[in-house]
Amino acid sequence: MDEAQVVGLLVRRCIAGDSAAWEDIVQRHHRRIYNICYRFAGTSDDAQDLTQEVFIKIYRTLKSYDAGKGAFMTWVTTVTRNLLVDHFRKTKQDRMTDSLDTAPSEHEDAQPLSAQIADPSRSADDHVQSRETRETVHQALQKLSPELREAVILRDLQDMDYKDIAGALRVPEGTVKSRINRGRAELARLLQRTYRQVI
Amino acid sequence: MAGEIKHGIECGQFEALLSEAIDGQLSGPRKQAFETHGRVCTICGPLLADALVGQQLLKSLEEIEPPVHLLHNILVSTSGISSARLLATSPERRAAGMGERVQQWWDSFVTPTAVFVRQPRFVMSFGMIFFSFSLALSAAGVKPSDVASVNLRPSAIKQKYYITQGKVVKFYENIRFVYEFESRVRDFKRSITPAESETTKPNQNRKNNNDTSEQPDQKQERNYSREENQPVLAGLLAPSYELRATSFELRASDRSQLAAPGYKPPAVTVTANRRFV
Repeated sequence: MDEAQVVGLLVRRCIAGDSAAWEDIVQRHHRRIYNICYRFAGTSDDAQDLTQEVFIKIYRTLKSYDAGKGAFMTWVTTVTRNLLVDHFRKTKQDRMTDSLDTAPSEHEDAQPLSAQIADPSRSADDHVQSRETRETVHQALQKLSPELREAVILRDLQDMDYKDIAGALRVPEGTVKSRINRGRAELARLLQRTYRQVI
Repeated sequence: MAGEIKHGIECGQFEALLSEAIDGQLSGPRKQAFETHGRVCTICGPLLADALVGQQLLKSLEEIEPPVHLLHNILVSTSGISSARLLATSPERRAAGMGERVQQWWDSFVTPTAVFVRQPRFVMSFGMIFFSFSLALSAAGVKPSDVASVNLRPSAIKQKYYITQGKVVKFYENIRFVYEFESRVRDFKRSITPAESETTKPNQNRKNNNDTSEQPDQKQERNYSREENQPVLAGLLAPSYELRATSFELRASDRSQLAAPGYKPPAVTVTANRRFV
């Protein structure tokens, strides 16, 4: 029995009123949902609240899930994404992002960020440094526009394929690819600017 | 950017192939053309480099471990909905015993309430109320140790009531005594103070207070000139004149005095204020 069949059976049991099946579904997906929420919202408290809201919504609308339309994981991701976008609109977190269409800066020919960040010689405080780098990347991720952020989170952090992302975001696959590339490049440029300011 | 052909592919095609190139899915002549364009084009080359760096940075982010209580919270928050929903729909639950149904009915109210109460905003509000209350109590001088030592037996409460009542009555009586004493002192001061000073002062004050125009009052100046004690020759003897209704007459002895040489009439001062307005 493959994963899709197992999940389908769990969903049917859950709709029938089996609380153990529901617990199994929550246990399978809560970690992933929490990570998406955390990377999108930025804070642990918001991520916890949003994860709970996502599961409450999933529980209420579980009957509307149609296995023929897509995988359960894609459906769950769609529900999560819609709630995250609603949350973003409510909190009015309009973040200023620089578009890739803007003219290249005068430091465009500067040393690549990989060369600035990655240190070939592993120092003693490498662990601390890498933790700081991760924190900086996480903060820079919050500065991306919601469209670019959700695309790179689903692709690079959740390892979803383009087709599933397109299904979850309800946009064409080409748009997904474009958003992912723009999101990655934007993130690199944001961090490049941050490192320049620090240096 | 779009439409610019360099080494076989346009910049738009380069961007479309970017994802596949980063994922390592390009091969053969397409890969070669892509790499060549990336090396030559001043726009697409940095785009490729930034996208690669961005991907590496995102891949460096580790999966976050969710809090331990999250799973429990999710199940509790959804179980409340579950019990309420299944109570009405499930035939098994309809056939359940009376005690179990009461328990389910109770859970359907208590669980959503507990979920609501555990929300951060509610906790924050509760915290603010508690903080304000404790601040007010400490400002009023109430200590927690006093509250702990409160005796709640009926006899003790009754005794406390009478003690408090006695204190209130005593306080009222003290205040009353002070007011009465002050009133007597005021009356006594009023009785020993001369009446003139009390009667003239208000007039003077009124005169000064009425002048709010800040202009010189000519009428008052004219009156003040009349108020001065000026000698007036009366032309008659002071002790012996008789004032009648329309005219006065001099006696024979007075007439002889007036006619005598070297007679000087007495000076009479007029102190009455006369207003010539």
